[in-house]
Amino acid sequence: MAAIEESGGGGHGKGGGKVRGKKMSTRVDMTPMVDLGFLLITFFMLATTMSKPTSMSLAVPDKTEDQEKPTEPLKASKVLTLFMGANDDVYYLDGIAADDDKAPTELKTTRYGFDLRSVIFASQKRINAANPKDKDGNDAFVVVIKPTDVSTYKNMVDVLDEMAITKTKRYALVDALTDAEKKVLGDKIKPKN
Amino acid sequence: MGKVRPKKHAPHTDMTAMTDVAFLLLTFFIMTATFKSNDAEITTPTSISQIKVPDDKIMVISIDKTGKVFFGVDAQPTRAAMLDNIGQAKGITFTDAERAKFALQSSFGLPLNQLKPWLNMPKEQMSQVKQPGIPVDSTGASELADWVYAARKADSGLRIALKGDNLSKFPAFKDVLANLQSQNINKFNLITGSEQAPAGYTNE
Repeated sequence: MAAIEESGGGGHGKGGGKVRGKKMSTRVDMTPMVDLGFLLITFFMLATTMSKPTSMSLAVPDKTEDQEKPTEPLKASKVLTLFMGANDDVYYLDGIAADDDKAPTELKTTRYGFDLRSVIFASQKRINAANPKDKDGNDAFVVVIKPTDVSTYKNMVDVLDEMAITKTKRYALVDALTDAEKKVLGDKIKPKN
Repeated sequence: MGKVRPKKHAPHTDMTAMTDVAFLLLTFFIMTATFKSNDAEITTPTSISQIKVPDDKIMVISIDKTGKVFFGVDAQPTRAAMLDNIGQAKGITFTDAERAKFALQSSFGLPLNQLKPWLNMPKEQMSQVKQPGIPVDSTGASELADWVYAARKADSGLRIALKGDNLSKFPAFKDVLANLQSQNINKFNLITGSEQAPAGYTNE
């Protein structure tokens, strides 16, 4: 099919005598072309970024906004606090405030991915079952995400992603640790040199 | 002895089909090719988010793994206008040649006072320079904020995307955030790779 018919040109012999030349092969050697084709394919495959990056939108509260209507303080019993530590560790306090006496013993450690998801789901189920929805129809469950100086950007994205996966609508990214929290976490969040 | 010698025949494979496939693939890859930008190697974290990053009208603030900040705007005219704006604000005048060169840079990470010498370098040398990153601090009034302001002045419809490296520390992100929030930018996109949602996840 793709072979090119070689005709005319050099096919005929001398003048009058109807000399029928040897039947020439009409095949064109396509090897170099195929070589080139694959070379280019290889190049483009390597040079291409196939998966287009996706984006997650992040909205942060307005800092300049006047605090006109004071918001109700969160009840610790409705809150799961996640502290993002070093080496992809997550410390969490489930329904207990950091200044509670039991906090140091209640502080547990988990890892990102499935483990963290299980923790969130369990806490979500427990808190939503124990507390009624508020008057706007929101679930009682709130997650407070506290990145520390030793956590990475990936950790933050991972946690935000867990929020999407567990469909936690109410979460807050708070980058300041209270003194009580610092005390509870102790040297877990100290940068290592 | 009748030793029958078969006629010597070069084994000839019909390569037509292979050629067809090869070129079909080639066409596909050429069409879909979007080239990796060679500036600042950044490996983004992944998320299950399905929202695609917009192709145009976007400014990207990148944070590399050491916490250096780079800044880039997609459209070339916007880049030139942005340079004019920041020049005006800071009292620096850029020549047409510098402006043209700047418009070709998809992203850069230099303090303002090093920008002019950098733009006057020959092209080959420009890519060799180790860029120290745009100065950012936690007060929210650093050069990054000026650049964002200049870019938004050049094109008010620009969306803001943040592209952080997996290993960049949270404080680096916090500083960038402070710079954006100081200008009342409270909504932006985080660029991530895509990842499969865990089993059982439904998107309502």
